[in-house]
Amino acid sequence: MSATALTAPPRRPDGLTLLVLPALAFLGVVFLLPLLLLLWSSIRGPGGFSLNGYARVLGDAYYLQVMLQSLQLGLITTGGALLLGYPAAFALARARGYAQVVLFALIFLPLTVSIIVKSFGWGIVLRRDGILNWAMENLGLIERPVRMIFTEGALYAGMINVFLPFMVLPIFSVVRMMDTRLPDAAATLGASPWFRFTRVTLPLSLPGVVAGVSITFSLAVSAYVTPSLLMGDRFMTMSMVMAKAFLNLRDWQLGAAMATVLLAVAITVVVGAAWLQKRLATPRGS
Amino acid sequence: MRDGGVSVGVGAAGHLAVSGATKRFGAALVLDDLSIAVAKGEFVSLLGPSGCGKTTLLRCVAGLLRPDAGRILVGGADITTLPAHRRNVGVVFQNYALFPHLTVAENIGFGLRAQGVAKREAAPRIAEALRLVRMEAHADKAITALSGGQQQRVAVARALVVRPSLLLLDEPFSALDRKLRETMQVELKQLLREVGITAIFVTHDQEEALVVSDRIAVMNAGRIEQLADPAALYGRPSSLYVLDFVGQSTRLSGRVVETASNEIAIDTALGRIWAPGSFLRGSPVIVAVRPEAVTLGSAQDGAANHITARVAEISFLGSRTQLHLDLVEPDRGVVELPRLPDGIAPGASVPLSFRVADAMVFPAP
Repeated sequence: MSATALTAPPRRPDGLTLLVLPALAFLGVVFLLPLLLLLWSSIRGPGGFSLNGYARVLGDAYYLQVMLQSLQLGLITTGGALLLGYPAAFALARARGYAQVVLFALIFLPLTVSIIVKSFGWGIVLRRDGILNWAMENLGLIERPVRMIFTEGALYAGMINVFLPFMVLPIFSVVRMMDTRLPDAAATLGASPWFRFTRVTLPLSLPGVVAGVSITFSLAVSAYVTPSLLMGDRFMTMSMVMAKAFLNLRDWQLGAAMATVLLAVAITVVVGAAWLQKRLATPRGS
Repeated sequence: MRDGGVSVGVGAAGHLAVSGATKRFGAALVLDDLSIAVAKGEFVSLLGPSGCGKTTLLRCVAGLLRPDAGRILVGGADITTLPAHRRNVGVVFQNYALFPHLTVAENIGFGLRAQGVAKREAAPRIAEALRLVRMEAHADKAITALSGGQQQRVAVARALVVRPSLLLLDEPFSALDRKLRETMQVELKQLLREVGITAIFVTHDQEEALVVSDRIAVMNAGRIEQLADPAALYGRPSSLYVLDFVGQSTRLSGRVVETASNEIAIDTALGRIWAPGSFLRGSPVIVAVRPEAVTLGSAQDGAANHITARVAEISFLGSRTQLHLDLVEPDRGVVELPRLPDGIAPGASVPLSFRVADAMVFPAP
């Protein structure tokens, strides 16, 4: 039928394929190849094929504890960044002129500061004779210095600081495109501020929230530098175990297995988020 | 009242009464001590160029903005400080602002849900609203699947289903193409008349205002220049601003040379013109006449003004033909004829006449 001929023109290699080819080739060499080698290492014991790496990672109480700790770190960091980042993204999207420039700088400048510099900064603020203890003591809030550095609280604060921009940016980009007359329209229909938020603003901002959550969680669950610098061996994450396995223990199979599990977690989150995004983007109704 | 004989229905107990509304954005005075009263069941258009304050006034009435000064009453109740969701004032937004994440029926039912109307009461009301705008077949469709005209119908149904005491429409036809716009203007007017609601249209399109309104408020710089029914607005504009904003006209500047009882003679570039009015001799004035009030030829019964002008351009508009007269700015001339007689071409001098009563005189700016 001529109709089918119109809707399905003959396929031939087009410009799009050519445009994406260099990037694909690059990723193939620097990403896919090492990834396959990693998967290969995870199932190769001293005596040939072995699932011993996975057995240890998934069976050993210590490694399970590490995984749980990593997930906990990812969840708390993501939750904290969402609580702080969601209203911040709205403020950023609604601000005009200088206010927007200043807010933008406040939220995104920390990204430009090296994580090492930031960690030492936190040390100066948080340590026993640091600025925070000094201030609280002089204000009479505390009798003697409080231990803050090398505590989980400090770790979460640091993690949220590092990953907050990754939560704010996707939410901001969605909120900025949102039609501000939609909540207005809801108001004229008799919707209270809470009803407007839960039935209009929140649902429309969800694509940004899903993107922000998936990016922040994937980054936080695999964090290495921030927990190492802020907690050291007191708080082991999956990435830290991996590094230890590869660098200190020379136990490639263990490291590769842990890496594969971490990868599986990240892929699950990213694919799940992509599916959710698509569902949210599809308007309801026929 | 301000100078220029602005007649605004203040004091008349209106269904909607705005008095002394003033609103500033920074240094800009957007509403300047504006007052207007609208009777129950009346359709009033707020007509003016962008930046004249018409949308600001609409947002103040809807409760989306609070005026710096002044009061807003609906049905006698002062709603000036009431938030939008407690006002029961419906709004059809420009480009409709339909909820993209909800279906047609969910959009229409939104207000009922927000106001806590029980499902079994809401369902028949949504069905009735769908029927009213002839969208029954599209109840479960996505908003994005609708045409512009259908979206407008949904927006109207969504606003009407909660039975507002007043309906505000912000440039409701601007998103539609010309042909559809004309159809929807008539359709919407009939629909709102059927519902019996008081409605206020905001528009910058004078033709649209003439079609849909019982009365038109021409706005300028945060004030109402004139509030009148379409025929009066067109036939007796209170100022040059209204004359120019609504319809076309021939405009000639001149000086009053003779005064009689209620009539004056003005010397213009096209000769002496008699017009009704009382101005001091020597006053600089502008005399204007609407295009269709002018006829070709000098054979018109007494008391007529006779002039001769050169034709600069001829525009054929289908049902009528326009002659643009060759005049020097700021004078300009346009004449409309039902049909063009033979032998008239650009460059030709033509005799024209019009009644004294059709001439309008304004003080020169």
